Amino acid sequence: MRIFILAVLVGACGTDAVPTLTQTTCPDPNNPQFTYASFMHDFNCHYCDNCHDSSLTLNERNGAPLFHNLDSLFGTMTVWQHTDEQAGFGPKAHNTFMPGGGTSQRCPSTLGGKLDEDCPEPTDQERENLSVFLACEVARPQDYNGSNEAPSHDTDHCVSYTGPH
Amino acid sequence: MRQLIRIALALVFVPAAAFADDMDGMSMHGGDAGASTFGAGVSVIAASFSPSQPDGMFYGGSYQGVMPSASWMMDRYSASASWSYYRMDRNGITAYGVGDLFTSAGVTLLRGSSYGAGVMMGAAFPTGAIEAGIGMGKPMVMPMMFASWHVGKIELNGTAGYSRMLGEPDDTMVHVMSLVEPMNMEEISWTAGGDYAITPSVRAGAKLAGGVPVGSEPGAVRVFGAGRVAWKRRGVDTGAELQAGLVGDPFDIRAVVTTGLTF
Repeated sequence: MRIFILAVLVGACGTDAVPTLTQTTCPDPNNPQFTYASFMHDFNCHYCDNCHDSSLTLNERNGAPLFHNLDSLFGTMTVWQHTDEQAGFGPKAHNTFMPGGGTSQRCPSTLGGKLDEDCPEPTDQERENLSVFLACEVARPQDYNGSNEAPSHDTDHCVSYTGPH
Repeated sequence: MRQLIRIALALVFVPAAAFADDMDGMSMHGGDAGASTFGAGVSVIAASFSPSQPDGMFYGGSYQGVMPSASWMMDRYSASASWSYYRMDRNGITAYGVGDLFTSAGVTLLRGSSYGAGVMMGAAFPTGAIEAGIGMGKPMVMPMMFASWHVGKIELNGTAGYSRMLGEPDDTMVHVMSLVEPMNMEEISWTAGGDYAITPSVRAGAKLAGGVPVGSEPGAVRVFGAGRVAWKRRGVDTGAELQAGLVGDPFDIRAVVTTGLTF
């Protein structure tokens, strides 16, 4: 009986995979393969913004933290570690917690909508690209204030990016 | 004696909720030397919380919970355990689940006609889902000291302890720590309160409680205040407490109603 109780307690203390920084490095910070315009904007549009858009109120975020807004370069880099450890692939970790973490892999199909579909899943290559993009942005310190404007959501929020790079 | 132990048990059971502790009448002397006493109780909790960027609070919403508990006391020794089940509404999504399992064991080291003091070891096991904000995600140990002093119809009591998470914290914990039992990864925890016996079976009081982060991990100072009333009738202790977050945004307001039976 004592062994059973101990096993239960130890089991309760056990941990599954946990969000981990990928420790990805940037091959060439001065000539990044991926930019916000060429990659990150579309990635966020397709996989993140329906819960992580800056225009969403608390009740429209499906549990996503306030201030974690991924519809701008500034917002993306403000929480880059959180993004990397939730969704990035790299040498130290393959993180697949997002999209769908905390919502049983269910996502809204529209901006701020209900959880009405299975989450669209980034490919492994896209997850690797995500971590490379983040590593390169971190490796080339810059002032993001000029990139703080979110794309317009008047029609389709995944329209081609036209803002600063 | 029994009174003193109950104060400490209540504070360790639910470090932040600190539900209506001290509900056993005014006597410091239970006359329970050598005999085991068992207790069973249940608490109902409801709270609301709001986002605050300066405090690193990324969520708004509310939660409700039910918390059964059990305790054992004999002479100067005591042990307790409590679990909980929550409904969490956070940033527009609702989740249900058990919270962390809290246990404690304590011993009274000093006791006199009007005072008492002792030590207690509390431990929390991460049975609650950290993703839903109803669990710490790691085991916690919480050694503490407790003391109580009363004169006439007034009783003062307090605790001071050190709480620490076991194991390396995940970076994501900064964002999704437990909302139902807000606690830093490493902190000095404290409570200070007083009660006044309105009648032999009814008392009212107030308290402050909080935590101060220590160590290298990020954290936030937390303080809440509470007013409470407790009464005893036919062996059943019942209490109601209304709490307000003052510093660190642990919650906006929280209500805790507890009832328990000793046998």
